[in-house]
Amino acid sequence: MENDGKRRAFLKVLGLGSVTLGTAGYSVAMAAEKVEKKPHYGMIFDQNKCVGCTDCEVACRKVNEVPEGQVRLYLENKTDPATPMEKRYVRVSCQQCEDAPCVAVCPSKACHRDGKTGIVTMNPDDCIACKYCIVACPYDVRFINHKTKAAENCNFCLNTNLAKGKEPACVESCKYKALVFGDLNDENAYINQILHVKDSVRMKPTYGTKPSLRYIPVVKVGV
Amino acid sequence: MNGAINFTYGFSHGVEWGWPIAVYLLLAGISGGALIVALLVCFYKKQHEDTPLLKAASLVSFVTIALGMVFLVGDLEKPLYFWKILIHYNFTSVMSIGVMAISVYIPLTVMMCLYLFEKEISTILAKKIQILGYFEMVMVLLKKIRPLIEVLSVIFAVVICAYTGFLISVLVRFPILNTAILPALFVVSGLSAGTASASMVATWFFKEDAHSSDMKTLHVIEWPIMAVEIMLIAMLFVSLLVGNEFQQTTTVAFQSGVYANLFWFGVMGVGFGLPLVLNFALGKHVANSHTAFYLSGMASVTGVLCLRMFIIYAGQTFGV
Repeated sequence: MENDGKRRAFLKVLGLGSVTLGTAGYSVAMAAEKVEKKPHYGMIFDQNKCVGCTDCEVACRKVNEVPEGQVRLYLENKTDPATPMEKRYVRVSCQQCEDAPCVAVCPSKACHRDGKTGIVTMNPDDCIACKYCIVACPYDVRFINHKTKAAENCNFCLNTNLAKGKEPACVESCKYKALVFGDLNDENAYINQILHVKDSVRMKPTYGTKPSLRYIPVVKVGV
Repeated sequence: MNGAINFTYGFSHGVEWGWPIAVYLLLAGISGGALIVALLVCFYKKQHEDTPLLKAASLVSFVTIALGMVFLVGDLEKPLYFWKILIHYNFTSVMSIGVMAISVYIPLTVMMCLYLFEKEISTILAKKIQILGYFEMVMVLLKKIRPLIEVLSVIFAVVICAYTGFLISVLVRFPILNTAILPALFVVSGLSAGTASASMVATWFFKEDAHSSDMKTLHVIEWPIMAVEIMLIAMLFVSLLVGNEFQQTTTVAFQSGVYANLFWFGVMGVGFGLPLVLNFALGKHVANSHTAFYLSGMASVTGVLCLRMFIIYAGQTFGV
């Protein structure tokens, strides 16, 4: 009987131990998996498909309530005057840098990386509008919103469309599919399928800010 | 491939940091420079009495940094929210580090003023016996740490001058600003503006003899400081001239347009030329006159203001 009790206690410890260790191990594995799966949102602008209709600009202003005369997103006409028939447009907007200078220099942490999505965005309440982020941005794509008096940038519609489970307004409104939005960390995402087969570039790569916006330029090699 | 696509449009449309920032940079420079020079003269000469120079420097350093804060906060689009930087610190931000340094530095300048103006404050407080009692109690405690406070003041004064340079040298888009020389240039030009301001205040308000031993020391160190300043500006220019494509295009700021005028007439002409002419070219009689002394002091300060204006405006105008 005495032995039996000991054996039972031993089995109990063994059982409980394996359950706790097992779950602990599992949760560690889960945590590791979660870190790996944290999204890294990116966007592709395909110059071959963009016709410069500016539907993206209009949609962005409407959805994000950007004040009159200001923009988060702008299409610059970069058509070469020598070849006026070959239209070329370029998207000008926040490049969503992985090493974002604006986040680094913001003294009040108003400009930050969103915890869940990793998107560079703003907390207008903490912004004191010192304009440090604006001058620090190598792309000059940040501005002080006249209404909120806070600095602002394209944040992939983080608080608007993305929060509702929709694609960013510009992507949604693009009739020519010149814009593709997706998670660069998701191997099966459409954005990655495109990046695998197309040559794309980052703007001003020499600054080492690792932008998440990719551009597919028109490259004519001459026929 | 990377040249295949590009955009040149920017959202900021011009100079985001304007003249209030340039004035703040000047005031911070004067504040730090005056305190550094006066305390180093004190240390070097092993002075234990409160000299007019040290009195002037303490007053100048406190007043200018306090005034600088007004300009700095006034330049914010939301000035009433400035306290947010005091509670949210970002250790990767030069501005945050600067705010931390300033919040140590301002109390240090206040303490320096308390040491140097103890008598004056006591006479003002004489009617209010109770407050006078507290003041004397505090001073007894403060006097015990005076050597420490003086050393800390020098260190933080250097930090303040240098930080104003680092603040704008991290702006990678602007070749004139994004140089390693800028913090050094700001320390040195701060020293020259600080020396000029402190010596002017010392003679004007604290009746220091313009030919006293302290003033002579300042006159001796003024010229090497100026020489180093010119050398650093030349280095800045040369580094742009021999740099990459973008850096080379910014050298036009020194060559033509309104900023070139600001640089050659303001920085070189008024800042360096005028004091040199007044002190050396017109003979001993002019050089020793009071007018020449104040005029060259003010010219120095104006020159440093022009330098800050030039750096801020030309720097942000010629971006990539």
